[in-house]
Amino acid sequence: MKFGLFYEHQLPKPRDGDQWDEDAEHKLLKNALDQLELADTVGFEYVFEVEHHFLEEYSHSSAPEVFLAAVSQRTKKMRLGHGIALMPPRYNHPARVAERIATLDLISDGRVEFGTGESGSVMEMDGFGIRREEKKRMWEEATRECVKMMTETPYSGTEGEYFGMPARNVVPKPLQKPHPPLWVAASRRETTMVAARLGMGSLGFAFETPDEAKERVEDYYELVREECTPIGKAINPALAILSILSCFDSDEEAIAKGAEGAQFFAYSLGYYYNPFTGGSHRPGKMNIYKQFIEKPEEERWGPLGEGFRSFGGFQAGAQKEEPEDEVTRALWRAAQRGGCIGTPEFVRETLTKYEDSHLDLMIFVAQCGARTHEDIMDSIYRVGTKVLPEFNERHEKHQRWRAKQLEGVEHLINSSI
Amino acid sequence: MPAKLKRIKDDALRESLTQAQASLRSGDYPDVVHRCADAYLELLSRKPEMLEGTESLRSILFFPRLGAHLVQESDGSMMVIYDREEFIFSEAVTYFEFAVDSLAKHEL
Repeated sequence: MKFGLFYEHQLPKPRDGDQWDEDAEHKLLKNALDQLELADTVGFEYVFEVEHHFLEEYSHSSAPEVFLAAVSQRTKKMRLGHGIALMPPRYNHPARVAERIATLDLISDGRVEFGTGESGSVMEMDGFGIRREEKKRMWEEATRECVKMMTETPYSGTEGEYFGMPARNVVPKPLQKPHPPLWVAASRRETTMVAARLGMGSLGFAFETPDEAKERVEDYYELVREECTPIGKAINPALAILSILSCFDSDEEAIAKGAEGAQFFAYSLGYYYNPFTGGSHRPGKMNIYKQFIEKPEEERWGPLGEGFRSFGGFQAGAQKEEPEDEVTRALWRAAQRGGCIGTPEFVRETLTKYEDSHLDLMIFVAQCGARTHEDIMDSIYRVGTKVLPEFNERHEKHQRWRAKQLEGVEHLINSSI
Repeated sequence: MPAKLKRIKDDALRESLTQAQASLRSGDYPDVVHRCADAYLELLSRKPEMLEGTESLRSILFFPRLGAHLVQESDGSMMVIYDREEFIFSEAVTYFEFAVDSLAKHEL
């Protein structure tokens, strides 16, 4: 199993103010670059950068290609993932996506992971005039054509349902041939199965438990073997999922420094993706963090509530009552606060379960809510130095397992796993 | 045949979804969507508890809205409204996987 970091660029408003400090966004992005520079040196092999628009406080990452270009110059080995690029043509013309991906691949010496997706928040879809019922077909058409633009000389052109263009040679072409590894965002199980059938990696944004991940891995690889008709010229058989990270020397410290960020992540995600709250958001006028922090703690998980709380809480997270045993209780508490929030031992134990499920890539959300830059750096360093080395050493074993799963697959494979 | 499809116990439903899979392979995507929607309606009719209380909202909202959507009639029965008759590959797969997974999960 490999590891990466996931960036939304969350920026809660100050509790006592209507707007951010003037320098807040500047600091946020510069700090993230420092965090990734450190991560690159301690064993994190991927970054995935989201593309969201207008989701103030939840995500200030609307130009991931610019941020990733900067990351490419601050890191040496880290793979640079779009997590994801919004493919409906009203967000981004497919030719512009192809040009940006190729340029980033060239300046990073071939380190791009091309994550694709649709987005589903009302703020974004309405902002760009996209109908929910049509977004998946927009995604499929645009992704299919975008890959052709990267590989055909010249691109033969299209008259599609959602965009059209004449034959043009879209340049530059990416360094990785035939194109960078392809991914699709999968917040539902069904999309993971779409990914398998199209030969794409699945970027699972549903915070699956290890048991769920195991089942999904089995279904996914079965479909790659038996039902795959690639959308591109090479397949990227890979499953990734997200988990929240806050790793310190005691559970109490990890929770104290990490739980609120995880809660805000869940709350603000639920806020924007729930059509009722997200649809009635008043741009520039609301303070979501204040709304969140003033709620009683048990309500801070927001509209996603129970489902989100149980992710990663495979040991005892589903239990309602605190276990009596002290050790179990500490884990229960950590699990209640989501994902990999605890000591290096707790994080190791959690990750081992996912490793046993044959997950290819675990992507951590370390920057979320009002967590401080210093705490994020500490957490990245601690996991990188105390937890990841043993997993990185064992990755060869996973690669052998994966090669066995892919026996008989005749499609060209371009994957960094 | 995906392992999950084999887990569907009801012969008629399994046969219909096996045919949906064949349609998926042959490119007849509207047939896939119609068969899957019908299978899900059958599930709801046989498991009325799925339409009780908050479970009802979940059963309706989780049905993919990619050109077909579920509505509840005033008498409580469910029906699928088709916004269009053309579907593409990823939409058809989404409906197919949703139906197979739902039926397997509810042990039908």
